[in-house]
Amino acid sequence: MREYKVVVLGSGGVGKSALTVKFVSGTFMEKYDPTIEDFYRKEIEVDNAPSVLEILDTAGTEQFASMRDLYIKNGQGFLIVYSITSLQTFQDIRSMKEQIIRVKGVEKIPMILVGNKCDLEHQREVPYQEGAALAQGWSCPFMETSAKSTNNVNEVFIEIVREMNTSPVKENKGCCTLL
Amino acid sequence: MNYWGYWIRQFPVQFDLDSKLQTVIKNFGTLVQQKGNSTFKEPIDLSKVPSYDWMRSISVRNPSMRHNRKVSLVFNHLEPEELADHLTYLEYRAFRRINFTDFKNYAMTASLKDNPKLERSIALFNGLSQWIQCMVLSKTTPQQRADVIVKFCNVAKKLRILQNFNSLMAVVGGLTHSALARLYKTTACIPSETQKMLMEHTELLSSNNNFINYRKVFHQCTGFKIPILGVHLKDLILLHTALPDRVEGNLVNFRKMAQLSLILRELTKLQTHDSIPGVFANMDLINTLRLSLDMHYTEDEIYELSLAREPRNSLSSPSTPTKPVVFAEWVAGMRPPDPQTINKHVHDMVEAVFKNYDNDRDGFISHAEFEAIAGNFPFIDSFCVLDADQDGMISKAEMKTYFIRANCHALRNSFKHDFHEITYFKPTFCIHCTGLLWGLIKQGWKCKDCGINAHKHCKDLVVMECRSKASVACNRRLDSLSSNGSGSQDLSYSTKRKMSQRQKRTRVHRGTQTEECYFVDPLPRELGEEGDFRELHERLLKAEEVSKLRDENERLKLMLKSCEEQIVVLQSQIGSIQKNTISFILEQMEALHIQRDTKV
Ligand SMILES: Nc1nc2c(ncn2[C@@H]2O[C@H](COP(=O)(O)OP(=O)(O)O)[C@@H](O)[C@H]2O)c(=O)[nH]1
Ligand SMILES: [Mg+2]
Ligand SMILES: [Zn+2]
Ligand SMILES: [Zn+2]
Repeated sequence: MREYKVVVLGSGGVGKSALTVKFVSGTFMEKYDPTIEDFYRKEIEVDNAPSVLEILDTAGTEQFASMRDLYIKNGQGFLIVYSITSLQTFQDIRSMKEQIIRVKGVEKIPMILVGNKCDLEHQREVPYQEGAALAQGWSCPFMETSAKSTNNVNEVFIEIVREMNTSPVKENKGCCTLL
Repeated sequence: MNYWGYWIRQFPVQFDLDSKLQTVIKNFGTLVQQKGNSTFKEPIDLSKVPSYDWMRSISVRNPSMRHNRKVSLVFNHLEPEELADHLTYLEYRAFRRINFTDFKNYAMTASLKDNPKLERSIALFNGLSQWIQCMVLSKTTPQQRADVIVKFCNVAKKLRILQNFNSLMAVVGGLTHSALARLYKTTACIPSETQKMLMEHTELLSSNNNFINYRKVFHQCTGFKIPILGVHLKDLILLHTALPDRVEGNLVNFRKMAQLSLILRELTKLQTHDSIPGVFANMDLINTLRLSLDMHYTEDEIYELSLAREPRNSLSSPSTPTKPVVFAEWVAGMRPPDPQTINKHVHDMVEAVFKNYDNDRDGFISHAEFEAIAGNFPFIDSFCVLDADQDGMISKAEMKTYFIRANCHALRNSFKHDFHEITYFKPTFCIHCTGLLWGLIKQGWKCKDCGINAHKHCKDLVVMECRSKASVACNRRLDSLSSNGSGSQDLSYSTKRKMSQRQKRTRVHRGTQTEECYFVDPLPRELGEEGDFRELHERLLKAEEVSKLRDENERLKLMLKSCEEQIVVLQSQIGSIQKNTISFILEQMEALHIQRDTKV
């Protein structure tokens, strides 16, 4: 079974944890313990291929600037999340692709732009077209989601697996940590 | 009653620090006694709770650690182990202050708002990573950069032994940061054992499988240890997000509360050590280090510097982004330390430096002494910039002013020049590659603010700070700080009375350092003009043929005229506050006139 490492990036409060938890949690949520190894692992079937997703939620560590590069180094696919109710969070992620390229050293990186909280249509600050335009500039898929109403949550994770299947990140192994 | 006792025993800190809680408990105790139940009062007697007063105050020091050994404050002479010890001292001091409530608030709000102790600890973490990157990038040759990397790898090794995982994460994060990781030439100079060690540390701290490697090792460690704060904060936040506060029938979710308190208790339990085993801190080094870690750069500045040190290999790298990327705001909640904190840190550091390096205790340090200490602060200006009154010695006031200035928040932008395309009417050379700016028109780009010139393709690689911007910002900052006695006003006059011996040294010194001495004035606009003056002055001295001199003279007159015009504008702008600077310029102009007249 193929394993995929997905990193969820974005400003604090956009719903990274909400999306992650919604995706990984089944019906036995009260048993979860975030300190154990497989809290963030989930098996899903994508295009008839069973796959294991390991999700790294960066919530709570946004402020630790130097941990970010380490996260990105470890990830293979990236969900870049903003909240459609906050223009600021959209501005915050504009340069994210550039940063991932810096760390990875390659241009083609599996990623998806995610506009979360789309259930809060009346508080929308970022038009759908703006998100779509940025995604087009990044040549990556774009999706609006709602962790609250479970809209597009599974779809986002399925889509990132597809992205990783079509353009796998060159593995940075061994001595390349310094390169 | 025993219930209260339990909570007091479990969370003495809260009961000691929270005055509201104390009042409630006291009232409760009195009530119980009034009912004649004195036997029950025992478990809620707050006077038995140990005092956690030290947590209230941010700057309490453990006297047993004041123990002063002779240690060098100079980075180049510092042993990696010493450095690791002192970093651990700083780390633990910051970690220990964060109390239960701070952790809890962060878990609930995921924000650093009104959480200064946690914010300070994170600032230290990021400061350490950045300091490492800057220390490496401040070196000009790949071998020198590799040497700094090796040194910090050895610091990491000692941090691991001290079980200080938070600083270890900051150091490894700094060393593997994309600004350093891309330096191929530097990497080639790093011995393979060091590379291997760094890789092992990176593995240990890897986020793979939810930090499984770190979690295992951390749990096996006994005694003194400092956790990776980020990882445990993440656990708290996740737990808070994942589990509902209430379960069926609106009952409090006890499992969640228990899990939260487990993580919190684990963190606070680690704060109970009174000292760090085997670590004896030298407070002078602590103060010097602490200020080094305060320096605040943006990720972009550091990355640009990295590109300048080892330009992109056009074959393997992605296309160069045309406009600079700004992503520092992702760290939105992080502010550079506030002026008061900086001020205090600068004060402590300068005192420490003078205590150790002003050997004759006259309140001044010499050029050589300064050069040694400057190594700790990447991109520090030359001696002449600090020596504001150009007497060849640096006074405490000069040093304090400089560091407060250097820490200006606005310094972030001071590396960015405001370049615009321009046509030169005389041969002009590029500041970056020193090559001629070719062509008949629009040969190059000039910075509107500081006047440096560069090729189109070189302008983004210039690593020189934009002097005028730095000083604009600093001037503003200094104004707000001048009440502290270290403002700009007292600088130029503070050191008028000097011993004759010192003046002798001064003259010799000036003879060799004329170049840099022109940057001393802290005022914005004048800098460019002073630069022009210098140029003119030098040309005058060098010109030998009379005809050339005459041409030169014509141009000079024109430029002087424009300078005079600008000065009129300036005078109207600056007003009376900064009279002394104007008079300095006028003096300079007068000197020029005299020199020109005598030459012609
Ligand atoms: N209405 C709505 N609220 C959401 C959604 N996703 C997250 N939130 C809320 O936004 C806040 C922050 O979410 P969180 O997952 O902690 O953000 P993180 O900091 O990015 O991990 C929480 O109060 C969530 O309940 C969503 O899709 N819709
Ligand atoms: Mg002096
Ligand atoms: Zn050039
Ligand atoms: Zn400039």
